[in-house]
Amino acid sequence: MQDALVPMKIDDTHGELIQLVSFNLDQEEYGVDVLKVREIIRMPIVTRVPNTPHYVEGVINLRGKVIPIISMRKKFGLMEAENDKQTRIMVMDVEGELMGFIVDAVSEVIRISGSEIQPSPAVVSGGIDQECIAGVINQAERLLVLLKLEMMFSRDEKRFFSGM
Amino acid sequence: MPPIDCEDQELLEGFLTETTELIEKLDDDLITLEKSSDDTDLMNRIFRSIHTIKGASSFLGFDLLVKVTHKTEDVLNRLRKGELVVTPEIMDVILEATDLVKVLVSDIKAGEIQEREIDGTIAKLLPFLSDSAAAAQKAPEPAAAPVQAPAAEAPAPAAAEQPPVLSAPETPVDAPPAAAVVPPAAPVPAPKPASEAAPKKTPAPPKPADGKGDDLSDSSTVRVDVKRLDDLMNQVGELVLERNRMIQINQDLQQGEANRPDFQEEFGKLTKRMSFVTSELQMQVLKMRMIPVEKVFKKFPRIVRSMSRDLGKEVDLQIFGEETELDRSVVDEIGDPLIHLIRNAMDHGLESPDERIAAGKSRVGTLVLAAVHEGNQIIISIKDDGRGIDTDRVGRKAIEKGLISEEQLAAMSQREMFDLIFLPGFSTKDKATDLSGRGVGMDVVKTNIKKLNGLIEIKSEKGQGSEFILRLPLTLAIIQSLLVEVEGEVYSIPLSSVLETIRVDQRKFHMIGGQEVLKLRDMVLPLVRLQKVFNVQQRYERDDFCYVVVVGAADKRMGLVVTRLVGQQEVAIKSLGNYLANIPGIAGSTILGDGRVTLIVDPVGMIEGNE
Repeated sequence: MQDALVPMKIDDTHGELIQLVSFNLDQEEYGVDVLKVREIIRMPIVTRVPNTPHYVEGVINLRGKVIPIISMRKKFGLMEAENDKQTRIMVMDVEGELMGFIVDAVSEVIRISGSEIQPSPAVVSGGIDQECIAGVINQAERLLVLLKLEMMFSRDEKRFFSGM
Repeated sequence: MPPIDCEDQELLEGFLTETTELIEKLDDDLITLEKSSDDTDLMNRIFRSIHTIKGASSFLGFDLLVKVTHKTEDVLNRLRKGELVVTPEIMDVILEATDLVKVLVSDIKAGEIQEREIDGTIAKLLPFLSDSAAAAQKAPEPAAAPVQAPAAEAPAPAAAEQPPVLSAPETPVDAPPAAAVVPPAAPVPAPKPASEAAPKKTPAPPKPADGKGDDLSDSSTVRVDVKRLDDLMNQVGELVLERNRMIQINQDLQQGEANRPDFQEEFGKLTKRMSFVTSELQMQVLKMRMIPVEKVFKKFPRIVRSMSRDLGKEVDLQIFGEETELDRSVVDEIGDPLIHLIRNAMDHGLESPDERIAAGKSRVGTLVLAAVHEGNQIIISIKDDGRGIDTDRVGRKAIEKGLISEEQLAAMSQREMFDLIFLPGFSTKDKATDLSGRGVGMDVVKTNIKKLNGLIEIKSEKGQGSEFILRLPLTLAIIQSLLVEVEGEVYSIPLSSVLETIRVDQRKFHMIGGQEVLKLRDMVLPLVRLQKVFNVQQRYERDDFCYVVVVGAADKRMGLVVTRLVGQQEVAIKSLGNYLANIPGIAGSTILGDGRVTLIVDPVGMIEGNE
C-alpha cells in the first residue's frame, strides 16, 4: 500500500501527503487511496448473477467491459438501504481487476499526511472485517476509516470467486 | 542452464517464427517425398528449408541446431544429387533428425537452451554420408536394402551405448568426418562455425529429450495477408466517414433542425450504413483470426505413417478440405482430439492386411479426414473402412469394467452403446500399449469438444467401418445465440448447442426419480428449470405453457425450461473477470443493443452438473 501512495512532501515534520476519496456508508465516512479509484458513476441497470455471494449485486456494462458490482453495505453487514440520487458506484482497481462498489454517497477528495493515520481501535463498526481497515484518520471534526482494498476479500472468498 | 543471450530479441523472434513455419511444412513435405521420390522441386524445397534453418541458427549461434541440421542437409544433398535413393530407412532417420530439430527449437522458444543428446541421431545420419552407402545403393535394387540396412544399424547402437558423454571432448571426434564428407558432397556456401563454436560449450549433463516439440503450434504472432489488411483499412476509412456524418447529424439535432422532414430519413440511412460497415469490419477482423485447418491436418500424415509402421497395417490417408478456415482458438484446441480419433481409427478401426483380405476387402485400409463449412459451423469427419464398432463387445467390456450394469445395458439403444466408448476408463483392450488401452483417449476427445461447444456424432456399421463427425463453432469470440426470458430476466444460450425449441404444456412433464422429464418423440429428455438453478424470483402468474430449449453437448441432450423465447442475436462474448469466473452454469456475459449485460448460459456445464 505504502508504495502506491503519492510521495509528495509538504513539510519535514508531517511525512508524505496522501490523497483519499472519501465516501459515506450508513453513518460512517470512509476513505480509499485516490490512485485505486478509476471512476465514479451513477447507478446503471445491474444484471443479477445467480449463485454468487449475497453481496455481489451483479454485473454492469462499463463502456463495453463487464465488471462485477459489490454492495458495500451488504459486504460490511450493514442495513440495506434504497438507492437514491446520492448513490454511486466507485469503480476501483482491486488487485488488477476492475470492480464496482455501491456506496451511499461520494463526498470529496481530501489530502492528509501519512502521520495522521492511526491504527484502528479494536472495534470500529458493525460487521466490517478488521482485516481491510488500514487505519483511522482523526481530524478535528471528522473520523475517517481508511480501507485497504486488497484485503476486501478474504482468502476463502477469493477461492469462491475463482472456483473451488 | 543459461538463458538465451541474444542481443536482438526481434531477430530471435523472427527466427522462431520462420523456423516454426519451415518445420511444419517440412514434416508434410518429407512424407510426400517418400511417396514421390522423383519430385525434384519437392526435394529442393526440403533441402532449402533445412538449409535456411541451418544458416539462421548458425548466425544466431545455436550450435546444437547447427550440428543436426548440417548433417541432415548433407544427407539430403546426396539424395538430391541422386547419390542416394529415398528408402524408408533414410526417411526414418531424417524424420528423427527433424524431430530433434523441433525439440531444440522449442527449447530456444522456451528461453532455455538445454544440453540435449544429439549424437545418437547424428550417428544414424553418418552412415548415409559415407561412400559405401552410396555404393551399396547403386548395387542392383534387391541387394540394396539388406546391404544398406546393417550399415545403418551398426553405428547406431554404438552411439547409444556411449554413456551420456559431455559434448566438449566428443566434438573433435565427429567433426573431422563431417569436414571430410562435406567438400566432395556439397558445395554449400554456408561457412561451418559449428566446429569452431562447439568447444565453447559448457560441459553439462545432457537432459533427456522430454519435450516433443508439440507446443510449436501456438504462436503469439500472426502473419496477415496484406490484402486483408488493406481491406480492413478501407473499412476503417468508411467508418470514419460515417462517424463524421453522425457528428453532423448530432449538430443539426442540437440546432433544432430535427423537425426537418428529411431528418428522420437521413438518420435512418446513417444507421443502416453504420450497421453495414460494422458488420463488414467484424467479418474482416474475424477473417484475420482465421487460419486454415491445414495447420493441424498436416501433422497427421506423419503420425499415420509412423503408426502404420508400428502396427504393421497398411493405410491410405486421404485429406480433404484442408483449406477450410476456422478461428485460431479453435484450431489450437482440436489438435489433441483429432490425434486421439486418428489413433483410435488406426488401432481399433482398421484391420491388419491379412484380416482385411480375409474379410474380402482391399489390402490397404482407407482413412479419410475431411473438413467442411456448414453455416456457422465447421464439420470435421474421420472415417475409416475398418471393422466398425462392435456394440456387443463394447457393452460387455463396459460391464466388465464396472462402468454400467446389466440392466442399464439392456435398456440401451444402439446410439447409447456407441456413446459408451466416451466413458472415462473405457477401453476394449485388455492391456495398455504405447498407443492405446488406458481408456483416456476418447474421454479427452469428449472433454475438448465439449469445451469448444461442439457436438460429436458416431456412425458405424459392423464390418464396414466407422465415422466420427465433429461439429464445431467457427469462432469462440462472437457467437450466434438464442435469447430467452426467465421470469423477466434475459439469458443467452449459444445457438451452436441448441438443437430445437418447443412450446409445451407443463402438464405433460413427467417425474422420474425426482427428475422432471419430457417425452419427446422416441427420447426421454431430462429437464432443467432455469428459474430454479438461477434462483430467479417468480414474476408472472403461473402459466401452463412454457418453452423448452433442447440443448446438446457432445453426446448428451437436455431440455432447458424457460418462460419465453426472445429471439436470435449475434453476440460478442465478454468475460466476467477473475472474480466471477467460475459460476456453475454460466459461460460468460454479453452486452445487448440497449447496453444491458446478459449472461450466457453454459449448456455444457449444465449437462455436467445435472449428471
